[in-house]
Amino acid sequence: MRWYLKAVGPKKIIEFLLLAAFVIFFMGPLLNLALLAFTGNWSYPDPLPREWSLKWWSFVLSRDGIAESIGLSFGIAAIVTAVSILLCVPAAYAFARIRFPLSRFFLFSFLLTHAFPKMGLYVSIAVLFYKIGLMNTLLGVVLIHIINVLMYMTWIPTASFRNVHTAQEESARDVGASPFRVFRSITLPLAMPGIIVASIFTFLSSLDEAQGTYLVGVPNFRTMPVVMYGIITDYPAYAGAVFSIILTAPTLILLLAAQKFVSADVLSSGFQMK
Amino acid sequence: MSRQAKRGLLGISLVLPSFLILVFIVVLPIIGSLKESLTNDGGGYDLSNYKFLFTDKLMRSNIIFTLEVTVISSLLVLAVSYVLAVYMRFNNGFAVRWIRRMYMIPIFIPTVIATYGLMQLLGNHGWASRILYHLGQDSFPRMIYDMKGIIIANLWFNIPFTTMLLGSALSSVPDAVIESAKDVGAGRLRIFWRLILPLTYKTLLVAVTFVFMGVIGSFTAPYLVGPNAPQMLGVSMEQVFGVFQDRQLAAALAFFTFLLCSFIGYFYVLSMIKEEGMRRS
Repeated sequence: MRWYLKAVGPKKIIEFLLLAAFVIFFMGPLLNLALLAFTGNWSYPDPLPREWSLKWWSFVLSRDGIAESIGLSFGIAAIVTAVSILLCVPAAYAFARIRFPLSRFFLFSFLLTHAFPKMGLYVSIAVLFYKIGLMNTLLGVVLIHIINVLMYMTWIPTASFRNVHTAQEESARDVGASPFRVFRSITLPLAMPGIIVASIFTFLSSLDEAQGTYLVGVPNFRTMPVVMYGIITDYPAYAGAVFSIILTAPTLILLLAAQKFVSADVLSSGFQMK
Repeated sequence: MSRQAKRGLLGISLVLPSFLILVFIVVLPIIGSLKESLTNDGGGYDLSNYKFLFTDKLMRSNIIFTLEVTVISSLLVLAVSYVLAVYMRFNNGFAVRWIRRMYMIPIFIPTVIATYGLMQLLGNHGWASRILYHLGQDSFPRMIYDMKGIIIANLWFNIPFTTMLLGSALSSVPDAVIESAKDVGAGRLRIFWRLILPLTYKTLLVAVTFVFMGVIGSFTAPYLVGPNAPQMLGVSMEQVFGVFQDRQLAAALAFFTFLLCSFIGYFYVLSMIKEEGMRRS
């Protein structure tokens, strides 16, 4: 054993330990849920389950409201993404390309969505929504979901538009393209990766949102994370694990599909001005 | 109207829709909660709710607990992420390649799921305790329903995010600069202190800001894995509002947390505005 370690060298050993610590800490909880979801029964202190089964899948899928909650979550996430693109991408273009008074004030005002504690914000919003009759409405739920995404849906595309060199736009203008044409065939395609990343982020954040939906949307809008809270408290861990996989699968699939766009640089631009 | 004024008007009109939404769903509720927090039992306005926050024994211990968790989590996240990001920037072994492939996944995993996974893994008779049992370790430290649980959950959520921010900043430090520093005989430590740290400290500020804001107002993780008492302010806020039906006190709690976040946010915005100014000129 010792000669082997010596032959491998300290650098390799450090690398291995780092990777092991990383995988155990970050993947352990997810792996644990994946195991639990296919377990029939797992008694203490067995390190691995002895009985494998799919019975918790049929249990979860046969419960009322699960299928609806999945459809509802995706529907709401799609609406939230579409609305926030329409709201934020034009604003991002303005921040990147147009000089106008108070632009810094407007740009940084979106930080407010992260500065006020969400729970406090939702409580005040609930009070406001009661007054104007937005409780238990689709519009109310969509608005609640938009809070979480306004900032990076504006900031990431702003950074992407800024990274498009004005020289490219100007040379298109020089050969006679109209401003709209320049935007459509030069600026927008070049900024597209950022917009795609921001949209994915938005879609996933809407799928993930639980507290606000719970406060404003229940009983009419039981999305997947809201149902998850109920399952955690009412059912054995196996059922919770099955539902966790159903809830996480779309995230992983979307991430895999968009792998080539999702980079640290683009994502980071959602949290700072560079 | 001049061309410039027209452009300016176009700019404002493009920004206005999203700004109005912000006013409606964020600014108005914040003002509403400020007003609510200043309302006393008699319907008049004074600071009695805030006074209660700092004099009530339970509330005071909640505030101290929240600050402890937030500061410890932020420091640990920064330290671990910085080391990890620097290691990933200057090494390219198999471990780094694998970590690069995986480290963004936790950023996108729903909070409820990750917290639930941590509960199952680290809880009483969880997977970790079963494996340790077979390695001859009978007792397992209490992590879930304890401050440790909240801090571990915060590390899980924030280390990948912070490593991503720092990694992006470090990758913009050109290799050529570091090479030339080495050529003139600068040691590793010197390169770190004189070159890498100054080039990334602004990103550290960004990371501190978002980790601090994320942790101090968090609800899901402390609700699921935190102790019953003392509580994090997010959980306490929900309880004061939902169970005790005391809207004024809940609003005061929210506004107090907001003031703490604003303090950090102030430095963040200041540094960003400087950056903006440099870019424009």
